Amino acid sequence: MKKAIMKLVEFSVTRPWTVIFLTLILTLIFSAQFPNIKIDTDPENMLRETEPVRVFHQQVKKDFGINELIVLGIVRDDGIFQPDSLEKIKRITDEILRIKGVISDDVLSLTVTNNVVAGGGTLNVRPPMPSVPETGEDIENLRREVLDNPLFRDRLVSSDGKGAAIYIPIESKDIAHDVGEKIKAIYENEQGPEKYYMAGLPIAEDTFGNEMFLQMAVVAPMAGGLIMIVLFIIFKRISLIIPTMIISMLSVTWTMGTMIGLGFTVHIMSSMIPVFLMPIAVCDGVHILSDFYEQYPRLKDRRKTILTVFDELYKPMFFTSLTTAVGFANLAWADIPPVRVFGLFISLGVLFAWFLTMTFIPAALMLVSEKRLISIAEKKAVGSPMLARLGKVSLSKSRVFVASGAILLATAMYGVTTLSVNDNPVKWFKKDHTIRIADRELNKLIGGTYISYLTLQASTEDDIKRPEVMNYIEGLQEYLDTVPIVGKTTSIADVVKRVNYVLHDEDKKYSILPSSKEAIGQYLFLFLMSSAPDELDNFVDYDFKKANIWVQLRSGDNRDMTYVVNRVEDYVNNNPAPEGIKLEWSGLPYLNITWQRLMVVGMLEATIGSWWVILILLIILFRSFWWGLTAMLPLGFSVLFSYGLIGFSGQEYNMPVAVCSTLALGLGVDFAIHFVYRFREKYRETQDLEASMQWTMGGEPALAIFRNAVVVGIGFLPLVFATLTPYVTVGLFFGSLAFFSGVTTLVFLPALTGSFKGLLLRT
Amino acid sequence: MMRYLIILFVLFLPIQSQALTAQEIVKKSQKAFLYQGKDFKARVLMKLITKSGRERIREMTMLRKNYGTSGGEQKYFIYFFKPADVRDMTFMVYKYPGRDDDRWLFIPAINMVKRIAARDKTSSFVGSDFTYEDISGRDLEDDIHTLIKEEKLGGRECHVIKSRPKAGDVNYSYKLSWIDKENFLPLKEKFYDLKGDLMKVFTADRFGEIKGYPTVVERTMKNIRSGHRTEVTFLKTDYNTGIPDRLFSERFLKRPPKKWIK
Repeated sequence: MKKAIMKLVEFSVTRPWTVIFLTLILTLIFSAQFPNIKIDTDPENMLRETEPVRVFHQQVKKDFGINELIVLGIVRDDGIFQPDSLEKIKRITDEILRIKGVISDDVLSLTVTNNVVAGGGTLNVRPPMPSVPETGEDIENLRREVLDNPLFRDRLVSSDGKGAAIYIPIESKDIAHDVGEKIKAIYENEQGPEKYYMAGLPIAEDTFGNEMFLQMAVVAPMAGGLIMIVLFIIFKRISLIIPTMIISMLSVTWTMGTMIGLGFTVHIMSSMIPVFLMPIAVCDGVHILSDFYEQYPRLKDRRKTILTVFDELYKPMFFTSLTTAVGFANLAWADIPPVRVFGLFISLGVLFAWFLTMTFIPAALMLVSEKRLISIAEKKAVGSPMLARLGKVSLSKSRVFVASGAILLATAMYGVTTLSVNDNPVKWFKKDHTIRIADRELNKLIGGTYISYLTLQASTEDDIKRPEVMNYIEGLQEYLDTVPIVGKTTSIADVVKRVNYVLHDEDKKYSILPSSKEAIGQYLFLFLMSSAPDELDNFVDYDFKKANIWVQLRSGDNRDMTYVVNRVEDYVNNNPAPEGIKLEWSGLPYLNITWQRLMVVGMLEATIGSWWVILILLIILFRSFWWGLTAMLPLGFSVLFSYGLIGFSGQEYNMPVAVCSTLALGLGVDFAIHFVYRFREKYRETQDLEASMQWTMGGEPALAIFRNAVVVGIGFLPLVFATLTPYVTVGLFFGSLAFFSGVTTLVFLPALTGSFKGLLLRT
Repeated sequence: MMRYLIILFVLFLPIQSQALTAQEIVKKSQKAFLYQGKDFKARVLMKLITKSGRERIREMTMLRKNYGTSGGEQKYFIYFFKPADVRDMTFMVYKYPGRDDDRWLFIPAINMVKRIAARDKTSSFVGSDFTYEDISGRDLEDDIHTLIKEEKLGGRECHVIKSRPKAGDVNYSYKLSWIDKENFLPLKEKFYDLKGDLMKVFTADRFGEIKGYPTVVERTMKNIRSGHRTEVTFLKTDYNTGIPDRLFSERFLKRPPKKWIK
């Protein structure tokens, strides 16, 4: 083992140009895959295609001819019922109908959505505004017609008359951004006092995907640049830090190249692979350089120095790479396809980084001329007096440290219990992003841009027309209307009531459901006779076996959707559905709570699973149960501390946080392994606890750990300026993880070693 | 003398028909397809089928009487058998050239006859993929007709006519019709939407000859965008049965005579 690895290093030192040339060739092969990149930004793909909720969602979409919706709001502060504004609604709707990818037949707008009205003894099924009214009286009639009508009020027109909405169904979610841009071009062409807002989950999700890659292209290089600056401040030699920077870039290139080459799509999660790989790849370089600076003054020969450094470090570096790779590979057990890909390819990336560290770094270091290294040779020994003091105190007051550590841990655990799990793809954008603004304004205006569906399924045809089923739907809606987040509900029962009302000359007394199945059937037939064959399809399926209640929510927070779902469950428990009727939810907001649940639970399980696997691996590598356990503590601590902090700060536990916590697998363990390995080596040599601790804490090992914590903590700060909140989270979380991993390793490990020396140091 | 003239006329007929203008072809087609006989009666079986194959059935008796010449006034009387919950519903249309139809519907559950507005001729006919225009025709002068080519369709020689509406009163931009040169029945029609894409397709699927009139007894209208289609079969088709004028009244809407609806 040792032989093989050291042979690799020796070869690289002896034939540096060969190694660099081969690396270049391999890199070219991997980069050649990049043009084949396939991007998938649909969060729905977080779920397996066979996931029941996803299958049902597709079924509902098919049964009810429903497609994902973009909502366009047109607002005018002094009211939308003015000829020029109405003219714009008509013009904009007409143009939207012509956009490719828009399902024209299902667009909902004042000018195309049918209403049932009575006038002069005649029943009329037609849109409220087939053409723009000219006289004040006509406009007043129009206002009365739509505001009077539950199928339009708070849905297509706001109840204060200030805004109108157009609902635009699109063929698939992945064209939402493109269609959105075309819609934008249409309304930006208009002049006047109106304001326009475009919202809806598909547009948020697709736009996110679009901006994500832009952000990656801006933010990842910024992080790389900052890491380089921090490294330069530490090591002050560009020529020495360049190899480390190069291998972090190369391991990203190789990994992404393999992934693309194997035909995997780049998903929201896998787009984060570069950001995760960079710090992991840099860590080994920092250890090597720190040790290089320590050894060179003594040996004054780069070849000898490199071989000595690697001889000292190859084992901990191999351990850290192996544990990190295995830890991430373990994510492949998760039930979430993108998480599997993410885990496996980071795992591969870690192995690439290790391989490059063993070959490219020694080769590249050989190319730095001895002349340039003279100044290093004159430097005094590497080490930090501050860390040395910390080690001393931690060791001598070990029980105090362990006790305070335990208290901190308890506090962190309390913080974890206050964690609120919540997510909302719209909130992946910062508060001032147009999507967030549109979301806020539109949800104030109409009954909600988050559209979920509550489906009633009967066992036999025409069951939905049964009066008791209709009455149950009505009751459900009346109840839903009292739930604060629900802004609007619409269903087939509303249509039946409307027809009844209109047939009886708009007498409020008849705005009720008729009591016979025949009447209900005939009213619906009458409505269908006068409109397109699929006019009612959004509300009822073809055999009248299933009905669909549109439930519009003013918030897309998973927490809120969960609340609504629970309230409905309560209602159904107290008011059982008619015989043979089953209720089920679907729609994007509901889909999101499902993948959130899977994601949170799945990631948690996978991370805990990885923790156990790494523990076992460490016990084997260290050949000691207690050292293995000790080395695992920083990982557990740093995750608990980071989560606790999130809990206390009132932040929400969302998808990005769940993903970030896996980085602990890469960092927390690394720090501890280096610490434990180097300390044990010294202890084996000296059999002196205090001297060994002094060497570890006061010398190169602790300093390298400290430097790594600083590099990672600072290096990812640029992410805080990203316009997408998941990247902001990544930046903050990486910082806190690096900080807590560093702190637990450097502050508490000496104390733990001291307190439990009986267990740890017996031989 | 007269007899010879007629023979002479008949001999020249094929030559004359070749010289027909697009407008004349469409006019003849309307006559053959929508105005055949003095009156017309059929049991109509309508299947509304979704893309995924789900069906809704409509079954009705349809009575039609012509008043005046081809393209002129017509009256329709429709009695529904299926779906079951609309049995006894009846529907009546007075069609006028050049202005909106009059339509009445009888709702048995509340014993009420209601007039239904008919502003839009491209709205669906009883919820099918056919529009009122597809059933009762479009005013000849509303479109510019051009004969774009002649070609064979399913072994029949056809005129291919492009009809472009003069006003934007419909939901399509133009229509192509394949009209049989011999009997002037339309074999196929293709409608193109405002984006220029194919929107719906009519096909005549089976023909019969009833009392000497060539008749399309099976037809399909398919909506290309939604994949939805409507298949129509005529059973018990008959012409010139002597439908009385008084049938087309509110009184008979409520109480349709068995003789005429069975």
